Amino acid sequence: MEGSISNSSSNEDFAVGCMLSIKTTLGDEFDGQVITFDRPSNILVLQEGSKPGPRRNIRFLKTNYIKEFSFLGQSEDPLDIKKCYIDLQSLQDREELALRQAEADAERIGVGVTTEAQGIFDALSKTLPVRWDKTSIVVMNEVRVSSPYLPENVIGGTPAANDRVKKVLELERRRLQTRP
Amino acid sequence: MNTQQTAQLKSSANGFARRRSERESGMRLENKHQSGKLNQNRSMNAKSPSRDRLVYLSTCLIGHPVEVRLKNGSIYSGTCHTTNVEQEFAIILKMARMTKDASYRGSKQEYVMKAPSKTLIIPGKEVAEVIAKDVPVTVAGQSNELQNERHEDILIDSSISHSRHVELDRELSPWVPDEDDPQCPGLENIFDGPWNRGWDQFETNKMLFGVKSTFDEELYTTRLEKGPRMRELEREATRIAREIEGEDTEDLHLAEERGINLGEDFDGDEEVRFSSVIRGRGLDDSGYDEDEDILLDKRNTETFGDVPASSGAKTDHLHRGTSNDSAGALLTSSVDEPQCSQSSNGSEFFQSNTYDHCRQQADDLPCKSSTSDCNGRSLYGNPEILRVAQGHDSINASIETKTVAVDGKLSKSNESQSAENSQTAGFDRGGLLADAPSVTSSVKEMPPTEPEVVYVKADGESSGVSACRQPGTFASGSDHAGATSASSHPAVSPSSSLIGSSSSENSTLNPHAKEFKFNPNAKSFTPSHSSPVRPPSPVSDGSYYFTPNVTTLPQMHGMPVGIGMGPSYSGHQHVLFNPQVAPLRSPQPYFHPSGPQYGQQMNLGHPRQVLYMPGYQPVSSSQHL
Repeated sequence: MEGSISNSSSNEDFAVGCMLSIKTTLGDEFDGQVITFDRPSNILVLQEGSKPGPRRNIRFLKTNYIKEFSFLGQSEDPLDIKKCYIDLQSLQDREELALRQAEADAERIGVGVTTEAQGIFDALSKTLPVRWDKTSIVVMNEVRVSSPYLPENVIGGTPAANDRVKKVLELERRRLQTRP
Repeated sequence: MNTQQTAQLKSSANGFARRRSERESGMRLENKHQSGKLNQNRSMNAKSPSRDRLVYLSTCLIGHPVEVRLKNGSIYSGTCHTTNVEQEFAIILKMARMTKDASYRGSKQEYVMKAPSKTLIIPGKEVAEVIAKDVPVTVAGQSNELQNERHEDILIDSSISHSRHVELDRELSPWVPDEDDPQCPGLENIFDGPWNRGWDQFETNKMLFGVKSTFDEELYTTRLEKGPRMRELEREATRIAREIEGEDTEDLHLAEERGINLGEDFDGDEEVRFSSVIRGRGLDDSGYDEDEDILLDKRNTETFGDVPASSGAKTDHLHRGTSNDSAGALLTSSVDEPQCSQSSNGSEFFQSNTYDHCRQQADDLPCKSSTSDCNGRSLYGNPEILRVAQGHDSINASIETKTVAVDGKLSKSNESQSAENSQTAGFDRGGLLADAPSVTSSVKEMPPTEPEVVYVKADGESSGVSACRQPGTFASGSDHAGATSASSHPAVSPSSSLIGSSSSENSTLNPHAKEFKFNPNAKSFTPSHSSPVRPPSPVSDGSYYFTPNVTTLPQMHGMPVGIGMGPSYSGHQHVLFNPQVAPLRSPQPYFHPSGPQYGQQMNLGHPRQVLYMPGYQPVSSSQHL
């Protein structure tokens, strides 16, 4: 889905610091400030949000996918060159950390389960220790909740635990329904 | 930067699972490596800053969670491992998940989750957009991030509230105070004039819910006996209260309570201002200020054990301030648990530190003076005493078991207003205190729990106690029942750790008091010559004499006022007493029962009636006054 390429040829439009309002071919709309534009690769880097500070929301957008844009204004360079340094080591550390985190997160995601099931899992995990076992949710290592995760699907465990899980499940389902 | 990136790409590309375009990527990488330089030259021949920026920014993404939108509309989320701007922004994600599948036509609910891919290589051609949030672009951002990451091991609130696991039902935004004064956002109003609010909760409840209240205030507090002198006493009490509350204090928390403003640029966060315990003000008693209301309760209880003295409670309704003040009376540092026979809520453990106003009631053991009442009431019309009173057990109790001449004392004290209780030797605790005039009120009340009170004469005590009570200062009527019970204890029980009994609020013990450490080798004091340490005598080592006409000893800090008791008692009693010394602010309130200290005290020129009994022998009861 190539968008119009006409824009990419006019570099002047993408001067650094420009505030643009962009609509992409993917259906995104946003405002941002140009940090840089790289012509050879046609990549436009924009900064979203106006909060000044070391952290920004960044978008790398290929100009091919710009459906339309409008110029909002001109502002100064959002990037202060002098302060731009990269510590590769810290980047690697950060990556490792993120990976560890992500792996932990992955444990919580059921494979081959519907998003609804995942939502229930997440809700249960707020108050109970849960884990996935294929497509069943195992609560407190005792009680199993299998598809379709209705209160009657709660099996096992001591009566007390079973009741508790049933109750929590009901409440969570109710809550999930009311929420949009 | 390009080469670095290339290197990264290459290394990461090796040995990883690949998608269908793997070979493509592989090839590209190879090409890249070889023609890297070439490319570099070509694209950067002008050293275009824009390219540099691009590379810089994309490098910033490494390790950061990103969202990649493909041209077909699918979205993948993962941690950016590396990017290749040369190849139309190819990107490799680790632990990537497809968060939106463009080709999926079913409802959201039924979308089936897939396992995250450990490594996902997305060719540049597919990439339409890469979005990353909160990317640290400058150095400042980077360092912070790592620290934050490290701290994530400890679950802090912000990480919990931003948890990715839990779907947020609502957008959480940080609280901001209303436009009111940030310091007191309207809360002040609630407490303004509580008595004038004109709102009766019971009435309201009854009206709204038909609930009949059986609340009787008197169940929870002591009834004030309104006598003819009520007004006078009230006035006195208010005066004292105001005086105390208006005192300057160095203590932050007290100042805050009293409404003294710290000043805008006070350096300290909320914890320091409102919560933390202020320490390090000098761990010994020196410099203890009677203005400090810090109630030593805590320390007292620790040191002395817990005594649910009701007496302490009594005073509560009286000026708190005053009670606090009396707390100043403190206990000598030397309080020793086992030896202490209780000290009721701090009352009169007179640390005698600089307690100027305090008139400690010389407490002899037996007395349970409830000085507390004194506070308000001052039957004797002596406000000062009240302060002391807190009604706590006088230190007397402290006296170690051995001492005691209790009974005589009691009666004595009762009669004479000045309770000159010479603290007998037994006063280790330094109790002291006789305070005659002030005594008035003081009848110290012994906390009911005192199991050990060492009283030599239990019976006598009881009587004594009751006698004590007579003077009726007790407005509070509180239970001196306790006292009675206490008195029933057999005399001289070797110290259960009583002392501590002071209830926390009423303790007048000195928090700064050093813990009493029994020094078995302490030499007993002899004024003129060195005397050998006496072997402990069974009982009344601590007994003390006091002469009736000894006037009140103004507070002594740290020194038990004992009249007549020569320091010649066995080492284990640390009787330190100071025959009537003027209130002095000795820099060392805590003193060791060794000679020299005593000597130091002696310098205070005050008429003393010292009766030294170097060769003190246990005195029979008859000798007790």
